[in-house]
Amino acid sequence: MAKHYSSFKRGNWRWFVQRITAVFLIGALAFHFVTLHFVNHAANISFAGTQARMSEIGYFSLMVTFLVAGAFHGVNGVYNGLVNAGLSGRPKKIVAGILIVATLLLIGQGLRVAVAMSTLF
Amino acid sequence: MAQSYDRGTVESFGRWREFQAGMWAWILHKLTGWILVGYLFTHIAVLSTAIGVDPGTTAAGMDTYTQTLQGLEELLIVRFLEIGLLAVAVFHILNGIRLLFVDLGLGLDVQDTSFYASLVLTALITLSSLPTFLGGVL
Amino acid sequence: MSTQIEQETEVEEEQTESRESVAERISDQRREQIQEDLDSAEKTVELKIFRYDPEIEGKKEPRFDSFTVPFHRGMTTLDALIYARDKYDSSLTFRHSCRQAVCGSDALFINSQQRLACKTQVGELEHPIRIEPLPHQDVVKDLVVDMQHFYEQMHAVEPYFDPDELPDGELEEQRQTPENREKVKLSTRCIWCGACMSSCNIAAGDNEYLGPAAINKAYRFAMDEREGSDRKKERLRIVEQEHGVWRCQTQFSCTEVCPKDIPLTEHIQALKRESIKNNLKFW
Repeated sequence: MAKHYSSFKRGNWRWFVQRITAVFLIGALAFHFVTLHFVNHAANISFAGTQARMSEIGYFSLMVTFLVAGAFHGVNGVYNGLVNAGLSGRPKKIVAGILIVATLLLIGQGLRVAVAMSTLF
Repeated sequence: MAQSYDRGTVESFGRWREFQAGMWAWILHKLTGWILVGYLFTHIAVLSTAIGVDPGTTAAGMDTYTQTLQGLEELLIVRFLEIGLLAVAVFHILNGIRLLFVDLGLGLDVQDTSFYASLVLTALITLSSLPTFLGGVL
Repeated sequence: MSTQIEQETEVEEEQTESRESVAERISDQRREQIQEDLDSAEKTVELKIFRYDPEIEGKKEPRFDSFTVPFHRGMTTLDALIYARDKYDSSLTFRHSCRQAVCGSDALFINSQQRLACKTQVGELEHPIRIEPLPHQDVVKDLVVDMQHFYEQMHAVEPYFDPDELPDGELEEQRQTPENREKVKLSTRCIWCGACMSSCNIAAGDNEYLGPAAINKAYRFAMDEREGSDRKKERLRIVEQEHGVWRCQTQFSCTEVCPKDIPLTEHIQALKRESIKNNLKFW
């Protein structure tokens, strides 16, 4: 029987992607912390310095991926916590909708910030 | 059958003294997760000061972005919050690694030891970062 | 009845009596006999037992009753409960049957952990011993909880052997390799006691969660090679719905309390991996 990845049911793919983003985030978050607190000290952050980092395509794409992965992982985690606590039926659908909108807004704003920090675009 | 007596779920947290490692790990992972999500939204909001920066002001470091961030960094309370954030993030990462192993079916027999290990490591890493975080303010 | 010691029974007139101390209502003869038992025992143990009965006026508010029972080496909590019921208060209600940890009837919350009363040695517990009905389930009376929800979740995974096809010959066996048997061996030990589900916070919060026992049952059959791949796919489909395996947050409480030492969390994780593998196969 032919199977597409569309046979992924509701519960499956979010669990799986949560783990995939988790693995990525371990590295990305550690890197981000080290870059912005140890390599560069937070007290010395300036627009010029930020712009220099964000204008390099590798760093920029890493930051964007970091944003998307982090947004998904975090909001999905929140959603799961609520479902475990008993959220179901209508309220669940409403909350899911709100969370999706919040995620999109977060990613959208994050992208605007990233572009503003960069000379690439 | 006569009506049943529903004791609710409150009793679970009332018995926190009897919690085992796995339970604590789950609770702390959730707690640190919520904190990190809250932080993510706040962080993007703060960084939004980078939008619409006047290029003329950046050289002297007088733009809104630099001013906001450096202004925050000068506050001692912010430095402490950052240390807290580090502890929260490190724990979430280390326990997350433990959970990934559990999901792969590896090391399930040492799952409680690995939880204690992540707590200890979190403490060690947080303590060793104190000089960096508090440097220049203390 | 005349030569037997009077049985204590719950009578209409006694409903309004204050039930501060159980000992008050016992006949003098009975009290003497109990005192004899206590004096001749090496030591005595105090039990604090949860009482509740929605049908009796004096017992609609839950409370704890104290019973002092004689101790002897090798005594189980079930022995203690039976002594309390037989000698002190015959209205004390709890489930029990085999008294050898195979029927699963006497799962109780003893000193804050889910245990089987017949398998728990009084000598190993801290005294006084606190005995309560399983948490997160509705209490019907005293230590008896409503198991209906638990059974429903078990039945939802179709907990019976059901192969895709039977062998051709009438006398031909359905073979299973020793390795496959080893794989499912631990999962076959479930006695449906309900301790695991009662210990899971997710099961407490999410009413639709299948629960560790049900998912373990599904594992027992899904991983049994005799059933065939089609049946396995169907079984996976049941447990991979939203309130199936994905609700498990690897809290490990189920594994800790299982009286048959089944590695429940491990089995649930295995089914999560099976489900992902199954769904990733788009080639």
